[in-house]
Amino acid sequence: MSAPFFTSGSTGDLAAALVIGIGFGACLERSGLGSARKLMGQFNLTDLTVFKVMFTAIITAMLGAFFLSRIGVLDLSKVYVPETWILPQLVGGVVFGIGFAIAGLCPGTSCVAAATGRGDGFAVVFGMFAGVLATGLALPLFESFFRSTPRGGITLPAILGAPDGVVVFGIVVLALAGFAVAERIERRVIPSEARSAKSRNLHV
Amino acid sequence: MTVRRLLATLAAGAALLALVLGTSKPTGTNIDAVALANDIEHQADHVTAEELGEWIRARKKGLRVIDVRSDSEFAEFHVASAERVALTDLAKLKPAADETIVLYSEGGAHAAQGWVLLRALGHQHVYFLRGGVLDWMEDVMNPVLPERTGIAKTDSLIEQRSALSKYFGGVPRTGAVALPEAGSARALITKTKRRGC
Repeated sequence: MSAPFFTSGSTGDLAAALVIGIGFGACLERSGLGSARKLMGQFNLTDLTVFKVMFTAIITAMLGAFFLSRIGVLDLSKVYVPETWILPQLVGGVVFGIGFAIAGLCPGTSCVAAATGRGDGFAVVFGMFAGVLATGLALPLFESFFRSTPRGGITLPAILGAPDGVVVFGIVVLALAGFAVAERIERRVIPSEARSAKSRNLHV
Repeated sequence: MTVRRLLATLAAGAALLALVLGTSKPTGTNIDAVALANDIEHQADHVTAEELGEWIRARKKGLRVIDVRSDSEFAEFHVASAERVALTDLAKLKPAADETIVLYSEGGAHAAQGWVLLRALGHQHVYFLRGGVLDWMEDVMNPVLPERTGIAKTDSLIEQRSALSKYFGGVPRTGAVALPEAGSARALITKTKRRGC
């Protein structure tokens, strides 16, 4: 018997999603990503924790999926691959980015912020669900665009025509290089910040 | 070595291993030969034409009837509610866990091979129609039923078979019957009926 053990939408599936969601939220909280200040550091290039945490999560999940499939524990052919619609998702990405920069929180981190009692977290969660509702109600107005440029469930190995292992290797190398560069940027920024804080203190 | 360096090294090592392995597909075969042999031995690998007929009539939840014959054969006649999937495309079939697959072919051999294929791919609820379309024609569409006996239990069984046949537009016969008109659907049914022994 191999995973996934539950059919989509079944009670077991929802229970598994709940457990994974709590784990994901706990990791976000422990990484400090429930704080909008921390997240804004990403946009100001002063604190790249978001990049490091998210990319770590991606390569951990990717390596886990690869090796679990390889030893026959996970059946990757039964794992849902979200469909791609190029143009609507590009526009959605821009809207998401603007919302992220304005709020300082993304959907996952806003839930974490709300769960830890932060007011801005509650505001963003409310805004997110209001947006979902508004989009759902207004969908008939732009449904043709919403369903345009469909590409189905595509994956990097399929696009690149490369074996899974090569793609896994490439992404891990990219992540490790990214982490090294991120740490360098943080090291360069933090001393200058410390200096400016010191100078501010002197003036006060 | 700090924890983060250790983790980065582990990730790099795992990535190198992935590069060497190349594919994420499990090696070897998934066939549980003993389990398959047990199903065959206990006749849990197939359904009879009448059983399939009852499943279709009862709208059994999650039932998918799959015809693995050629397009032209499918176009000429197929079991009600069946969909055509070529044997070569069977591996692409990704039935949900709660679906029941019944494969059929002309005589049953190809469907039985398809059964092994789907079971090897890990699908559990798979059956093939024993005797294929030929049995379907003989036992459901054009059955020869015994005369009423006057014994309630036997007559009830005869009535059930007759009703099942009529549900699928079949022609249940009792003893000798007149041949249907040439070119009619009934003629086709009679024509496709198993010949010889």
